[in-house]
Amino acid sequence: MPAITFQDFSYQYPSGQAALENIELQIPEGSFTVVAGPSGAGKTTLCLAIAGVVPHYHGGRVAGRVTVAGLDTRIAGLAQMAERVGTVMEDYESQLVCLTVEEDVAFGLENRGMASKDIMIRVKEVLQLTGLEGRGKLEVSALSGGQKQRLAIAGVLAVQPAVLVLDEATSALDPEGAADIYRLLYQLNRQQGMTVVVVEHDLAKVLPYADQFLLLQDGKLAEAGKPAMVLTQMRQHRVFTEALPPLWRLKLGLEESGCGPLGDWRDESDAVAELTGRITGREMGVKESA
Amino acid sequence: MLDLQRICFGYSNNIMLLKELNLHISAGEFIVVAGRNGSGKTTLTKLMMGLLKPTTGHVLFEGEDVTGQGADRMARHVGYVFQNPDRQMFRDTVGQEVAYGPEQLGFETAATAAAVEEALRLTDLTDLAGVYPRTLSKGRKQRVAIASALAMKPRLLILDEPTSGQDAGQREQLLSVMTRLNRQGMTIMLVTHDMEILTRYASRVLVVGDAGLAFDGMVETLFNGDYPLAQWGLSEPAIVKISRGLSALGVATVFAAEELQKNIQPLLRKGDGHEPHSTAH
Repeated sequence: MPAITFQDFSYQYPSGQAALENIELQIPEGSFTVVAGPSGAGKTTLCLAIAGVVPHYHGGRVAGRVTVAGLDTRIAGLAQMAERVGTVMEDYESQLVCLTVEEDVAFGLENRGMASKDIMIRVKEVLQLTGLEGRGKLEVSALSGGQKQRLAIAGVLAVQPAVLVLDEATSALDPEGAADIYRLLYQLNRQQGMTVVVVEHDLAKVLPYADQFLLLQDGKLAEAGKPAMVLTQMRQHRVFTEALPPLWRLKLGLEESGCGPLGDWRDESDAVAELTGRITGREMGVKESA
Repeated sequence: MLDLQRICFGYSNNIMLLKELNLHISAGEFIVVAGRNGSGKTTLTKLMMGLLKPTTGHVLFEGEDVTGQGADRMARHVGYVFQNPDRQMFRDTVGQEVAYGPEQLGFETAATAAAVEEALRLTDLTDLAGVYPRTLSKGRKQRVAIASALAMKPRLLILDEPTSGQDAGQREQLLSVMTRLNRQGMTIMLVTHDMEILTRYASRVLVVGDAGLAFDGMVETLFNGDYPLAQWGLSEPAIVKISRGLSALGVATVFAAEELQKNIQPLLRKGDGHEPHSTAH
């Protein structure tokens, strides 16, 4: 069952700027979806449409329908949407509202009327998950940019939404920090069935985890499907090729020069394993005897 | 050009973020500064710019001691682009915003106009000269901030994470501007977490860690050595990782996908025992 459905959805901001046009899309429940595309392609608007912030907060003109976890976003209010969809936007600092780290994570839970002892347990759990354990009493202003980004994610995870939407949620993190966050999202996705939608410029960071890539261009859905298919089409159709991860530039380059076909590499170790097998001839032997 | 001598600095008195740091920067370098979140990368660049005053130690520009002289004095020589460009924008149009620096430095009207025009052209913003800067996208705001710094004709340009929030195309565009300026003699110092940028553009890499410079050297040395990259908040770029993974088969460590492809193509054909297009898959 799809967690999120876009049916011929179009949206114009009140300024008249068209942001999304005729989006037809399904995001399956429990999937890990990555939204890619050049700046200004509509990625952030797509996230806001899932959260219901578009059109409820921004106004503007809407056509078509977005359904999230069974709710029509045009009909459901923002508060109702927030029960189901957790969002961390690019401007993560704007969603930190309390003085201390602990208070900030507890904020959403308090608003839902959770008992304070349960809140304490949940806050502790979430701080540990996001690598902020021991920092609960710190003032938010004392955190580094990367730590604030983790805190914004912690605040959203605390309320355990069915759908988690992150718009460039690791842009301020060092490579290890970003990898930690994506590993955590993947773990929540697989273990708890949380539907995850992320916008990420660096596709290599999310390639190991993604079930689906969506490529937006000028407000339209240019490609959608399994990561391997979308990456291959980006190369073949010369669409946004500068975003192809180096790993896939190597794979597709080798295939084009007649050294293929090669597997759908998720990370460098996949590449090393297959190339080693091919070069030493071992993998061929296995295949032939199989 | 710029020297940091035995710099110590801490935001509170008892914890020193940087200890006894020494650094010499020569004209014409393209330096990439990397390191874990919170290691002191931004602090280091702010000390160079005079935005922060070292607790002890000295900052020298062209041999002259400029310690504690403040950013307004340094602005004649050093351009600085903040991580969050919003915070350095306050005028009504992009053109006026970019003109602010040269005006403050006392450029004459014609010289200011010429400097603004050139800075806008270099950053591809000429068409946006009349637009209100704060309504621009993050990538464009970043370019306005860079134009503002360029208009003051700095000899050293420091950029703190200039590509975060930018797509791959914008990133390439920005780096091609930086490369061009560097070829014209401008010294560039760029703080980034992006390992692609680091491997492709740096003539020298500084890793800030362990309260100082954990590494100062060439990219090749950084990724060919046995350094604790993860501990430093760095990751091995994909192509380096793959070529090192194939080193037992005689594959050299390279940085570019195209180069690795060229190196392993003959090995793959030999390994398959087939000519191209005749594999048994």
